[in-house]
Amino acid sequence: MNGSLAQMYSVSKTFNRSGTKTDALHNVSFQANAGELTLLLGPSGSGKTTFLTLLAGLQKPTEGTITIFGKNVKDYSSRELQILRSRHIGFIFQTFYLLDSLTSLENVMLVMKFAGISKNESRVRAEEFLDRFGVKHLGNAYPKTLSQGEKQRVAVARALANGAELILADEPTGSLATQQGMTIVHFLKEAAKTENRCVIIASHDERIKTFADRVLHLSDGEII
Amino acid sequence: MYAIKTLLNQYLRFIITVFGIALCVILMLFILSVYKGSADGAVQYIRSSDTDIWVLQNNATNILRNTSLLSSNYGKTLTGIEGIRSASPVLFMLASVKTREHPASIYLAGYDIQSEKGGPPSITEGRNISNDNEIVLDHSFAAKYKIRTGDQVFIKNDTLIVAGLSSGTNMFVLQYAFITLGKAKELFGFSGFVSAYLINTYPGIENEEVINSIKEKIPNSAVFDNSSFLENNNYEVKSGILPLLFIVALIGGIVLTAILSLILTVYVLEQRKDYAIMKALGASAGFIPGMIVKQSLILAGCGMIMALVLFFPLCNLVEKISPEISAVSSFRQVVLVIMGLAVISLISSLIPGLKLRNIYPLEVFQ
Repeated sequence: MNGSLAQMYSVSKTFNRSGTKTDALHNVSFQANAGELTLLLGPSGSGKTTFLTLLAGLQKPTEGTITIFGKNVKDYSSRELQILRSRHIGFIFQTFYLLDSLTSLENVMLVMKFAGISKNESRVRAEEFLDRFGVKHLGNAYPKTLSQGEKQRVAVARALANGAELILADEPTGSLATQQGMTIVHFLKEAAKTENRCVIIASHDERIKTFADRVLHLSDGEII
Repeated sequence: MYAIKTLLNQYLRFIITVFGIALCVILMLFILSVYKGSADGAVQYIRSSDTDIWVLQNNATNILRNTSLLSSNYGKTLTGIEGIRSASPVLFMLASVKTREHPASIYLAGYDIQSEKGGPPSITEGRNISNDNEIVLDHSFAAKYKIRTGDQVFIKNDTLIVAGLSSGTNMFVLQYAFITLGKAKELFGFSGFVSAYLINTYPGIENEEVINSIKEKIPNSAVFDNSSFLENNNYEVKSGILPLLFIVALIGGIVLTAILSLILTVYVLEQRKDYAIMKALGASAGFIPGMIVKQSLILAGCGMIMALVLFFPLCNLVEKISPEISAVSSFRQVVLVIMGLAVISLISSLIPGLKLRNIYPLEVFQ
């Protein structure tokens, strides 16, 4: 898919907790383009994570319209959203969220299983992506035995291996040392440029700016 | 892959759970085996009696829980009926046997040693009785009270020598013993009575006709062909033991369901984050519930295998400790328990499956 993968039009998201309304996002418009790395910069509580989860179709906006791959997110069924996440969207988390009972290789293969890719092909692709990020030799290692940097490399491999066009990374460098963090961002930048993927990184790490094609500053739920 | 790996991740818990399941399965298998052993043992005497027709006192339907007294004179009447080849009298009574250690109850069958009708189905040790001073005991009774062939046992004021041990004569709560009809009458104190006549007819004769003739000649009698009589006695065993065993088996099944449900729910709660991640990454709606069912089946399957490995040695041990407990297992029982276990596994997956509905992919972003 080329061009715009997802759009937000005047999107607001309000949470109602115990009768108190909180605006997590207010009147946000955005277009996610293939081949582009977008940095969503802002402090904690600025609405970055809400932004990502809305783009992933994990929740629906209170106001405004979100289209993902050309279709209004409200028009997707649960099953369609599940297929969308398994085949077209890759996630990277601050705390990696690898499954402890599976090896690195199995963690990467599991996502491809969700995408309906055959076991043999999953294995080949998982090994290929682990190799690409320099952790192929850790394929049979369990997450508990890996360093933070190694875990995040496996997590990046997991996000990219199923061929997802939209990569959503929530504070991917938050648990890493500076050098490790920048290496991860470099991998993501490369994925955007060489594979025409759309990468959106939510972070408060200003150093990522140098890798970004576009920087959005979020503050109190608004793009400033 | 994930299903089994998650289970093996906590291997000690896995082993304890499998062991718990195995114990419940053993309990169910054991109950079924005891039931079969008791039911078979109680009617084996009748089944192997090679009798065409049973004649008892009017209103008596079985020899297990009914009293039947018929006049000894009926023997001649019966042999006079057309089609009857032989009419062998048997006298049943409960008696107390003084062993070396304790007095014990037995179900005495006094029979005619000339005709051999009504005697022990088979002799496993020693020989059959040949005179009034001998007795054949059930082998499990003998094992329980440490009696061997050649030993003496005491009934009332009589001393009898154990000539042999029989099998197929264990009714679980009571065991058969065999003496001569004469000795039985002597012990009973009334020589003019027997309990039943075992009739054999000539080949080609319709039992129904003979039964009608007997009823006509001896109005105060209950007459059954062998299969009806076997059915009556089977019914007595089942109605006496089955409800109790059914309740115990049911409790075993409920305990097993509770164990599996509890363990699977604990797994779900512990793996909550993993399941939220899977949902966020696009696991299909059926993937995680399917995994829970797989885990349940894996646990049940391992429990079944462990149960089968332990069951037969345990049965042997129980029979050594309590020889009167006769556990007879069959392939059908094992298949029945496997099927029951599969159903229990599926039911046990329901509660943890419902817990999954409250796990949201957004949890991984918090």
